[in-house]
Amino acid sequence: MEAATTPTTMTKAIPTLEVSDIQATVLRPRPSPYRGEYLIVRVDDALQGREMLRRVIPHVAPADNWWAPTLPGWLAIAFTFQGLKALGVPKASLDSFPQEFREGMAARASILNDIGNNAPSNWEYPFGTTDMHVALAVYAKDEQSLETVLERARLSRQDLPKISVIYRLKFSELPGGRNPFGFKDGLHNPHVEGSGEDVHPGYGPAIKAGEFVMGYPDELGETATSPEPEVLRRNGTFLAFRKFHTRVAAFRKYLREQASSPEEEELIAAKMVGRWRSGAPLVLAPTSDDPSLGADLDRNNAFNYEDDMKGLKCPFSAHIRRVSPRDALRNEIVAVNLHQFLRRGTNYGQPLPEGELEEDDAERGGVFLLIGAHLKQQFEFVQSQWVTNGDFINQGTEQDPMIGNSQVDRTFTIPKLPIRRRLHGLPQFVDVRGGEYCFMPGIRALKWLASLATENTVTK
Amino acid sequence: MATKTEATRETRTDSSAPGMRNQGLVSGQAHEFAIILPLKPGGGKRMRDRLTDSVTAGTQALDKMGTLHDLRFVLFDNDTRVIFASTYDGGFEQYIKDFATLVPDLIDNEFQDCEGYPGVRSPQIWNYIAQYQSEAIVFYSAYPNVTVKQVWKGQRVLKAFEELLDEASS
Repeated sequence: MEAATTPTTMTKAIPTLEVSDIQATVLRPRPSPYRGEYLIVRVDDALQGREMLRRVIPHVAPADNWWAPTLPGWLAIAFTFQGLKALGVPKASLDSFPQEFREGMAARASILNDIGNNAPSNWEYPFGTTDMHVALAVYAKDEQSLETVLERARLSRQDLPKISVIYRLKFSELPGGRNPFGFKDGLHNPHVEGSGEDVHPGYGPAIKAGEFVMGYPDELGETATSPEPEVLRRNGTFLAFRKFHTRVAAFRKYLREQASSPEEEELIAAKMVGRWRSGAPLVLAPTSDDPSLGADLDRNNAFNYEDDMKGLKCPFSAHIRRVSPRDALRNEIVAVNLHQFLRRGTNYGQPLPEGELEEDDAERGGVFLLIGAHLKQQFEFVQSQWVTNGDFINQGTEQDPMIGNSQVDRTFTIPKLPIRRRLHGLPQFVDVRGGEYCFMPGIRALKWLASLATENTVTK
Repeated sequence: MATKTEATRETRTDSSAPGMRNQGLVSGQAHEFAIILPLKPGGGKRMRDRLTDSVTAGTQALDKMGTLHDLRFVLFDNDTRVIFASTYDGGFEQYIKDFATLVPDLIDNEFQDCEGYPGVRSPQIWNYIAQYQSEAIVFYSAYPNVTVKQVWKGQRVLKAFEELLDEASS
């Protein structure tokens, strides 16, 4: 699964966005190696909530100074609709937020195909409830630094009894920077115009900043006019928080059943993902893995689908070709840049031991922050159209082989000459454990929230 | 056959996430859309002349959308009003912004003679559609679960199969 880009050098390009006001998590990749923790907070008193916020703000990292060697780590903060309400944001402002954000992710389950195992009724607490108010992400380079930042977060709620931490999840990098399925992750993200980030070949043309941060023109030349007031939305954005559990043994077992050799297992796995385990893309390495290609940031994204329009190298249904089609839909009327988001992913849990084919009941998987200014046309579009539909690539109702959750026979089609191969009966490899839509404000907006007038307070 | 009472509907009221407010009736994954629009003075004739002249160009672009089963423009009331009616696949609505971005001229060419038409790129377009859209009372699709792309693919496969049979028997 594609997530944040691993940094190799500090950025040299000069940013034109207000990077000192935009949270680091929006524009910057997490460190590597990394460890950290997500905390979810419930606010039962608006005054105490704003006091906590006041104390936290100095530790929230902006995108201009997020990985200075002197800092032990960084902290990101975002609010659900219920959270903004609990902090006493005025009604006129609350009403100006987009509908999908106000409803929350659980209410969008039918659009997102969060059904069956993935239905909100199966989610972990507090996902899908009105208790989830504030989400904090703490990123650090080692355990000691993490404790330092967590201690700061703890002090911010000292003597505030109406502030409760209701959920915690530790995360850390798996060996080799792999995801639980064993694939190198964090390989690709869209290139945000004016962000000052490193650009490697294949990152595509820069996408207008307004697609990812409010306050700047987007791909349609429009600058966001809501939510109100302007001070709240400027340099803010939205994110879809998704927690996944990965069924690694089921994945390995299925590959074993479908293949007649270890090499064929690896090929089928790569066909499903669109890359080999090393990260080498199928388009550039169609027959076997090429670890040096996978590790080379200047080559592992330098591809498109122009010479693979029949999907013979990378199947139409492959995960990376679905969620980021690059030029694969060139013959259709599809404005691909309207449907991009930034992926900030982290892994949790221990890897399943190599060669193990039986489930061990351990929780392992990933948490993704899918970030963009237009939840509906970005996250919701990609999830409902490109992940859980196949019509756009002429594959009927076939879904994404890795993250789909079709309730009927799950298939995966591998184009091949003289005749395609279609796999049947794919078990579900990824379960949604929970999720929510959050608003991630800029630093000035955080200060505005912290200093809201008391008369707007909603008390319980 | 879907009727108004059994159709799935979603009310959308926010301005920040525009979409069709009245979804029309649904049969399987097929959707119906109908809108009755007043025409500017002389607009009926202009629309008739322009659309019949540009059928080929329009068809090519509509083919690329790959989600519209059919559409028609019917002038009535002495060319003072027009009915636009269409059947489309579920995905179509999701791509409206893409069409407005990539083929705005095609859409504006079709609707420019309608009274008050703000242009497909205008933020007012959704209010305009909501003002004039009329939901069907009955909607029938003979193949409610087959998309445009599946119909095309089926045709290609059938053609290839017939050719194979011809080759085998010659």
